[in-house]
Amino acid sequence: MAATQPIFEFSGRRIAIDLPHLAFATTIAGWCAWFLRDAWLSASDVENLILIAPAAIAAIILYGFVAAGCFHRVTGDAKPAPLRAPLTAGIAIKIAGAMGLLAGFVVAGPLIGFDIASFVYLFAMMFFLGERRILVLLLVPLIFCIAAIYCFNAILSTPLPLFFFSGDAS
Amino acid sequence: MIDMAALASAVHLLASSWQPWMVVIPGILIGLLVHSVPGLTTSMALAICLPLIPYMDFLQALIFMTAMYAGALFGVAIPAILLNVPGSASAVGTTFDGFPMAQQGKHNEALGLALAASCIGQAIAYLLLLCMAGPIAAFAIKLGPPEMLMVSLWGITLIARMRGRHFARGLMAGAFGLLLGTVGLSARGAPRGTFDIDLLLDGIPVVPAIVGLFAAAELFNLVGRDYIVDDLTRRRVDASRILAGMRDALRHPGVLLRGAILGSGIGILPGGHAIANLLSYSEARRAARDPEKFGTGDPRGIIAAESANASSEGGSMATLLALGIPTGGATAVMLVAFSMHNITGGPAFMRDHADIVYAVILSSLAQVFILGLVGFAFIFVAGFVVKVRLRMLVPMVLAMAVIGSFALAQNLAGPITLAVFAVIGWLMQRFDYPVAATVIGLLLGRLTEGALLRTYQMSGGEIGFLLTRPIALTILFLLIVSIMLPYLRSAYAHVAGNPPGKDISK
Repeated sequence: MAATQPIFEFSGRRIAIDLPHLAFATTIAGWCAWFLRDAWLSASDVENLILIAPAAIAAIILYGFVAAGCFHRVTGDAKPAPLRAPLTAGIAIKIAGAMGLLAGFVVAGPLIGFDIASFVYLFAMMFFLGERRILVLLLVPLIFCIAAIYCFNAILSTPLPLFFFSGDAS
Repeated sequence: MIDMAALASAVHLLASSWQPWMVVIPGILIGLLVHSVPGLTTSMALAICLPLIPYMDFLQALIFMTAMYAGALFGVAIPAILLNVPGSASAVGTTFDGFPMAQQGKHNEALGLALAASCIGQAIAYLLLLCMAGPIAAFAIKLGPPEMLMVSLWGITLIARMRGRHFARGLMAGAFGLLLGTVGLSARGAPRGTFDIDLLLDGIPVVPAIVGLFAAAELFNLVGRDYIVDDLTRRRVDASRILAGMRDALRHPGVLLRGAILGSGIGILPGGHAIANLLSYSEARRAARDPEKFGTGDPRGIIAAESANASSEGGSMATLLALGIPTGGATAVMLVAFSMHNITGGPAFMRDHADIVYAVILSSLAQVFILGLVGFAFIFVAGFVVKVRLRMLVPMVLAMAVIGSFALAQNLAGPITLAVFAVIGWLMQRFDYPVAATVIGLLLGRLTEGALLRTYQMSGGEIGFLLTRPIALTILFLLIVSIMLPYLRSAYAHVAGNPPGKDISK
């Protein structure tokens, strides 16, 4: 997945736009603007806005510079130079998969207990990243779960939601 | 400046019983171990050990806590170097050159550098404290909200300028971080940016956010690789190379000394320990003849960050002992330990218990050597991380980080924050934004808001008020100089007809 830079023509000039970066910067600036509005609606006094207002306005002004930098003039028929290292489809899928599995673990851990969720997450993630030895796929998560639960529950006395052992997720 | 009678009494206190020394090695080990788990913090470890404090005498308790603090200050460097996972904000600067060194197969040297810089930084800080506890306390009392405000802005500006090639993106990342840091209830109880979610009323959990921004984001980048170090022959854990790294730290005495002095000074301020490493890194880079080497695995980057991080403990302890004011979570917990023994920190404590203050300083100096030995053994074991396949290591570190963030927040806010900021961090890295600027903004958001508000109240809205604060003015001057200097250098070189070398800060 190479860096996407579609080319548009404006009054005879060819302009390449770094759309992914523009979308990201717009999201950040949009959140800053929304945050300022939310804080303003919550309380419009100096105490509430003394930092938020200047920081949000600064972020939005800076967004103008950043967004302007997302537009590049392209001369002739040349293709725009890549702005960052391209992601191959395989790596992009692995990164997206790793993010998805992490999200699943984050939600499942407190709900079904960290012992079983950790085991399943480690098994799934290792398998997804290419581990195929069944003994490793079973033993590594098992040892990790025992060590982590012992560490957090026995040594640190931190109550974790657990499925099999004593805990508050039953 | 040294009260010789109290010093002699302190030596007697430490030499007459072996009991105070019994807690040093366990304390250092707990500090090291805690920070090998992303998401756990020094203050958390100190808090967990608080029930032990009433069973110790006061000196022993203080030595135990300073030992844990010392171990933790170095411990954060280990995952920062090996995995690009700064266990806390105080190790962010260490990742900049530490992880590139690890990827080049120089993990042994990098860990050795960090250990030596940490030990020497702590030693210098405590020597400064020993000789100048009184003046440091007098200086600390002059630092108020305007100075704190300037230091915060300085920290964010420097980091925005330092790490990215694009200054606007850096500043935008810093402003974004500042805003994230103010999410939650305002001083007057107005909810801001909480999406009506109760868990966010206390703000965004900082440690899970940092772990997400740095660690998880970096770990996502590693999923397509087999090992941290690609070359099999470079994966060895080698004691002689760790020692070589330690020796290498001594080849840069200027960087070490500057980092230690800067760390001691900044450590006096609330939250100062979080930015001392970054300011020191930035200063080392600014002062270097070849700044373009920083960020590519330059030993000076590790030395600068680690010496300042370690020495900030001395500054924090000065404020705690002399003024009774905690500068961060760890010293706040120490203050609780004081109260368990019915002792209040502050000028009266310095006057009435000078022997204990000196005993703590002397024991901390001795801890430096013990940390050197224990830390060496610890990193020898920790170094084996580079031999673990990433398809096992990445899931384990991520799982540990999620569990740690739940343990820290005691609710879903911790893990969810980690996951959300992991994605944000990865995107920021992808589009070349300095993640550290957002982290520093996030850390300092509340502090900066409070400092700005109190400065406004003190000044009554008069800008001329700043003229009555020479320290704040000096920091403001340094801030402007640090922004302008690269431009001035470039302009000078252009005028002199000598084009400057490539500068990644532009």
